[in-house]
Amino acid sequence: MVIFKRNFFIVVSYILLLLLLINVLFPFYWMFATSLKTRQAIHTRVPELLPMKPTIDNYVKVFAQSNFGMYINNSLIVTVTSSLIVLIVSVLGGYALARYNFKGKKAVMIIFLASQMIPLIVAIIPMFVLYSKIGLINRLGSLIVSYTASNIPFCLITMSSFFKHIPVSLEEAATIDGCSRFQAVVRIVLPVMLPGIVAVFVFAFTGCWNELFYATMMISTDSRRTIPAGLMNFVQKYDIDWGQMCAAGIITLLPVTIMFFFVQKYIVTGLTQGAVKG
Amino acid sequence: MKNIEIKRKNRSNLTPYLLLAPAMILVLSVMGYPMIDSIRISFLDYSLLAPNDIEFIGFGNYVKLFNDSDLFNVFLNSIKWVVSVVSIQFLIGFLLALLLTRHFRGKKFYQSVVFLPWAVPVFLAGLMFKWIFSESNGILNYFLTSLGMIDEAVSWLGNSKLSMSGPITAMIWYGIPFFGIMILAALQSIPQDVYDAAKIDGSNAVQQLFYVTLPYIKPTIITTLLLRVIWVFNSPDIIHTMTGGGPANSSNILTLYVFNQAFYSLDFGYGSAVGILIMVLLVIYVLLFLKLTKYESAGDF
Repeated sequence: MVIFKRNFFIVVSYILLLLLLINVLFPFYWMFATSLKTRQAIHTRVPELLPMKPTIDNYVKVFAQSNFGMYINNSLIVTVTSSLIVLIVSVLGGYALARYNFKGKKAVMIIFLASQMIPLIVAIIPMFVLYSKIGLINRLGSLIVSYTASNIPFCLITMSSFFKHIPVSLEEAATIDGCSRFQAVVRIVLPVMLPGIVAVFVFAFTGCWNELFYATMMISTDSRRTIPAGLMNFVQKYDIDWGQMCAAGIITLLPVTIMFFFVQKYIVTGLTQGAVKG
Repeated sequence: MKNIEIKRKNRSNLTPYLLLAPAMILVLSVMGYPMIDSIRISFLDYSLLAPNDIEFIGFGNYVKLFNDSDLFNVFLNSIKWVVSVVSIQFLIGFLLALLLTRHFRGKKFYQSVVFLPWAVPVFLAGLMFKWIFSESNGILNYFLTSLGMIDEAVSWLGNSKLSMSGPITAMIWYGIPFFGIMILAALQSIPQDVYDAAKIDGSNAVQQLFYVTLPYIKPTIITTLLLRVIWVFNSPDIIHTMTGGGPANSSNILTLYVFNQAFYSLDFGYGSAVGILIMVLLVIYVLLFLKLTKYESAGDF
C-alpha cells in the first residue's frame, strides 16, 4: 500500500511536470510553426499542428518588405550602448555600496529602491517634454538616455550584492603585495566576478531590448524604430500577416534566449537579491 | 584588521561619492526631475493638439479625474489584473518549485527550458497569445470547438466582457518562472535536518508542507508577492499588444491609461494627473507594505 501510494505520487508529479512543460513550450512552438507556414496554411479552417509544407518565405519577406532589418540595427545600437553604460556605472556604484560606509548611504539606497517601484510610464510625458526641449525627440539618443537611467537602480543593487560575496581579504592581500586599491579591483576582483558582471549585462540587455512604450512614444520615423515599436506597428494594421509576424518574433527571441541559457544560474542570484524586476 | 579598517575610513571620504556620482546624476536627472516636472504639467491645460495654447488651470485636471467615468473602471481593472495574475502565477509557480525539489533525470535541462519565458520580451509574449486567442484562425478557438466546449468562434479579445482573459492568461504564463525561481531558491535554503526532525516526530508529507515548509519560507513569499504586485501593476505591455486596452477601455489598466492619454489623446496635462494618481496609490501601497513586512530587517539591503 505504501509503495503503491508512493508510486502514485511520483506518477502524478511527472504528469504535472509534463503538463507544465507543454504549457511553457506550446506558445513558442506555435509561433515557430506559424513562421514556417504559407499564408494559405495559416488560414485553413482546421489549423495544421505541424507545417505540412514548411517554407522560409516569411523570414525572407520580413526583411525584404519591411524595415525589420533597420529595427534590428536600431535595437542593437540602443541596447548595446545602454547596457554597456549601465554596466560601467553599476560596477562603480555597486563597489561603493558594497565596500564603503558613508554618510547618505541610506538615502542612496532609498532613491534606488523607490525608482524601481515607480512605473517608467508615469515619466513618459515629462520625458517627452524634456526631450523636445533639448532636441532628442525622434532620435535613438532619447531611448539610450532613458534606458540607461531606468536600468541602473536594479543593476547597481545587484552588482553591489555580487561584490559583497567577494571577501575583502582578497583585495587586501593584493594591496599588501604592492597593488593600489584600483589595481587590486581591476586585476583581482573583477575577473573573479566575471559571471556576475555578465549577468548584470544580460539584465540590462533584456531590459532595453524589450522596452515598448518609450520606443513607441519617442520615435516617430519608421526607419528609426526599435524592434518592439516596429513590430507593434505591424500589429496595428488591419490585416495582420501572422506568418511574417511570427518570423520576426522568432528572430527577436534569438539573442535573449541564447543569453538566457548562458547566465540562467546567475539569474537566481540576481532576482533574489535585486528584488523587484521580473 | 583594525588598522586596515581605520585606514580605509580615512581614505574613503570622497571615493564612494565619486563612484556613485554617475549613477546618481543619471537617475536623478532622467527619472527624478521628470517626476517633479510631471506635477507641474498636471496643473496645466497642455494638449499637443494645441501646443501654443498651454495655460495654468489649477486643479482642473484633478477635477476631471473624479468626473472621468472610464477611470474608475480602469482602476477596478487594475485590481482585477493584479489580483488574478499574481495569485495564479504564485500558485502555479509554487507547484513548479515543489516539483523541482525532488530529483529526476534531466532535471537541469528541464529547469532551463521551463524558466525560458522569463527571457521573452513581454510584448512578444503578448503577440504570441494574441495569435493563439485570435478569433478567426486562433488555435484556442479550434481546440475548444473540437472539444465541444464552445459552438462557434469566440471573440476573446474583441468582446468587452472577455477582453481581460487573454492578457491575464499571457501574463500568468510569462510570470510563472519568476515565482518558480524565487520559491525554489527559498525552498533550497531550508536545512534538511528540519525535515529529519519532523519525520522523527512522525509527520507525513502534507503536514511537513504546512508545518515546516510554508512557515519557513513565509517571509520570502510575502516579500515576493508584495513586490510582484507592484511589478504587475506597472506592466501594461501585454495588454497594449493584445487589446490596446479596448474595446472601450474594458481591458485597460491605469498605467496603460496614462500612455493612451499621452500617445493617442495627446492630453499631457490630464495624462500627468493620472500619473500622479498612480504615484499616490503606489506610495500608499509601499507604506502599507513596509509596515506589514518590516522590510528593512527582512532583506540584506
